[in-house]
Amino acid sequence: MKRFIARRLMQGVVLLFMVATIVFFLGRLTGNPVDLMLPEDATAEDRAQLTQTLGLDGPLSEQFLIFIGKALHGDLGTSIRMKQPAAEAFFDRLPNTLLLIPWALLLGMMLGIPLGVVAALNRGGWLDRAAGTVAVLGVAMPSFWLGVLLIFVFSVELGWLPSSRMGGPQHYILPVITLGTFLVAGFMRITRSAMLEVMESEFVKLARIKGLSETTVIWKHCLRNALIPVLTLWGVFVGNLITGAIVTETVFAWPGIGRLTYEAVIYRDFPLLQAVIILKSILILSINLGVDILYAYVDPRIRLA
Amino acid sequence: MIRQLAGAMALAVATLVAAIAPAQAQDQKGTLVFAVESLGAQTLDPILEGRPGNAVYQAIMYDSLVGFDLKKGGVGPGVAERWELAPDGLSWTFFLRPGQTFHNGDKLTAHDVKFSLERQMGPGSLASAAASMKRAIKSIEVVDDLTVKVNTSSPQIGLPPSLSRAVAPEGAIMPKNYIEKVGEEEFRKKPIGSGPWKFVRNVPGDRIEFTAVANHWRGTPSFKDLHVLLVPEESTRVAMVRTGEAAIASIGPETMMGAARAGLEVVSVPGTMQAIFQFWGTWKPEQKDSPIAKPRVREALSLAIDRKQVIEHVMNGKARMPYPFSTFGYTEYFSNDRWEKWANEAYRYDPALAKKMLAEEGYPNGFELKFANTALPGTQFMVDIGTAIADMWNKIGVKVTLKHYEWGAFNPMERGDQAGLVGWASMYRTAGRPDVPWRYDGAFSPESIQRLLGDKDNCNEVCQDYVKTARALGSELDKAKRTALIDRMVEIVANTWMVVPIIEGMGYYAVNTKKVGQFEPIPGRHELGDVFERIPRPEQKPWKK
Repeated sequence: MKRFIARRLMQGVVLLFMVATIVFFLGRLTGNPVDLMLPEDATAEDRAQLTQTLGLDGPLSEQFLIFIGKALHGDLGTSIRMKQPAAEAFFDRLPNTLLLIPWALLLGMMLGIPLGVVAALNRGGWLDRAAGTVAVLGVAMPSFWLGVLLIFVFSVELGWLPSSRMGGPQHYILPVITLGTFLVAGFMRITRSAMLEVMESEFVKLARIKGLSETTVIWKHCLRNALIPVLTLWGVFVGNLITGAIVTETVFAWPGIGRLTYEAVIYRDFPLLQAVIILKSILILSINLGVDILYAYVDPRIRLA
Repeated sequence: MIRQLAGAMALAVATLVAAIAPAQAQDQKGTLVFAVESLGAQTLDPILEGRPGNAVYQAIMYDSLVGFDLKKGGVGPGVAERWELAPDGLSWTFFLRPGQTFHNGDKLTAHDVKFSLERQMGPGSLASAAASMKRAIKSIEVVDDLTVKVNTSSPQIGLPPSLSRAVAPEGAIMPKNYIEKVGEEEFRKKPIGSGPWKFVRNVPGDRIEFTAVANHWRGTPSFKDLHVLLVPEESTRVAMVRTGEAAIASIGPETMMGAARAGLEVVSVPGTMQAIFQFWGTWKPEQKDSPIAKPRVREALSLAIDRKQVIEHVMNGKARMPYPFSTFGYTEYFSNDRWEKWANEAYRYDPALAKKMLAEEGYPNGFELKFANTALPGTQFMVDIGTAIADMWNKIGVKVTLKHYEWGAFNPMERGDQAGLVGWASMYRTAGRPDVPWRYDGAFSPESIQRLLGDKDNCNEVCQDYVKTARALGSELDKAKRTALIDRMVEIVANTWMVVPIIEGMGYYAVNTKKVGQFEPIPGRHELGDVFERIPRPEQKPWKK
């Protein structure tokens, strides 16, 4: 197990270096923050001064080496726009995103898993087709559109819920539905296919022959085993939520790391963008590593090597 | 007896103070909530913020050395009541309004003005005009507590406008003693200004909160508190105004109709920008045979544009026919009436004449035109205007190759040798500012980045005429002669048809009339930071229907 973890950590470091390199160079292809900070009639002199003040005047290779050197010492730079250490800005906003993610996951699992079971039990029937429609809608519906639609119906027309922003429990409902809808579809589809596979297994047939009730067979034996692949995807879904929060947080004016990423891109705040993506990558890698370890415990047949 | 009399007087004063204080408190009620698409750097330190952020939320708590003409737009009194140019043109003296204080009670004096301007030019300043200010300003002298003299290295006629938020944020006055006492870091956490709103808290990525100051010279706020919320998504902002979660939200022209249909009041701010099209590098020797190197061809392209249709359909009626390039109703030293008449005639729609002119210039079947369509930040509707005019040019036989550029990709192309733009037309913008020479210098000077009339090695007769006029303007102190020179400068450029205004745009806001009363924005000042103190509560001044 130790070797497994060490190997995964090494892979993670290499991956992080690749991510940092790609983000550094791709970020700079989007333009120059000076263009956004100066008015259109700024003089060449003003432009040169600001470029120098922001440390963007050196060759790109030199800037990259400085960035990597500092990153190795845990310094991910200072936000050009906010004048705050980029990592600090990330961790200031992370709790706001983490307040949404568990609820979205819960919504996805609470609806998606039972729907998947029901669909599998009624394979080819109208319940299966209805659940399939839910899955297609959940995957196909852009979260941006869904968010705006929910605001229009529940805030503007019905006046039941606040339209946006952080606040009391009622502020969570619309963003959680927007963020969780995709997950409902995901969990439903995975549970359905896993259930269908498990239901054909020998041990399920044996359970039935032994005379166990259908409820016990389905919910205890089948679902328990079908949840193993669901667990694997849980890590992927959390990753999706962390990256997918950009749209939801923008629509609902939620000050989390999704919005921070959006702002970093819009303002070409390179240090912030680099820090946000690197820290998000670390977060996702850690979650996936945790899930893999958990997976090995849940299913002893899986050999970590 | 004397003691009793003094006691009675003290009691009377205390009663009077007590009577006045609650009246003021009662007069400032509720919270004004403003939803905006961007809070820029969201810093309350004026040297760390560019223009838009400054005008949205720094204007709320800082006063500017030079202020606004609230009715007409452009420059007016600010922290300085008046200013005078020395007879030799080499210094400006600013006379400060007496009795001004910062929010911590410190008096605002000439020392604060000197400190603030020097801080804007100092190390660590991200002010967009820091380098220009350093070049223009030789020294700053405190004459007395209410008088400050700015010595310039050459005549700087445009200095006062550049210290007004009507033009730029560098005139924001900061508290010298406080910053020196607590240090920059602490000042950034707990900023102090002298404006009509006092800083309360700044929640990064979310909001900035202020509370009203009583009896401010800019106006005593009607609301007790002001919350400026960051809501990037426009449909969410409109929803917030509709539900009453916000009183005012910034919107684009494409949302205006929907907002009005939903029962919201739409406030438009006149003269905030001009959407223009311009031609790049036509003076270059290799472009001499290009159709767009000919002024009459460029004029024909202008005649092919139905500006009224653009105003009606793209801008939903909330725009107007433009003045010549970078001039507005509030432009200083400028014959506004004359040029308004000129523009109405010159910018008419006459496709038949446009075709005739093209034929006369040797293009009866039109020609191929490469057109870069782009929008500067905050005016996304420019892309729709660009698409519309490309279509109008196609109708007179010009075969337009339209290419859309995100501003981040377009902006670098205009620098250096402009390889990607030479021989092209493009969309562009000019912000609403009262001073002509600054903007013209940036577009037409042979040393400028854009150098649309020519560079140092290729400055033709028109380009030289422009340079001569610009030089004369730089040292002209007489108002009438200055006006004549600016008119001449505008004329030279207008006759080249190199930079052609399409519409004069406005700033747009959706307003919930149950939350705020009727108010007037400042012409040319897109952001509302300088008018919040003049926004009444709905019961004080209901909207006229």
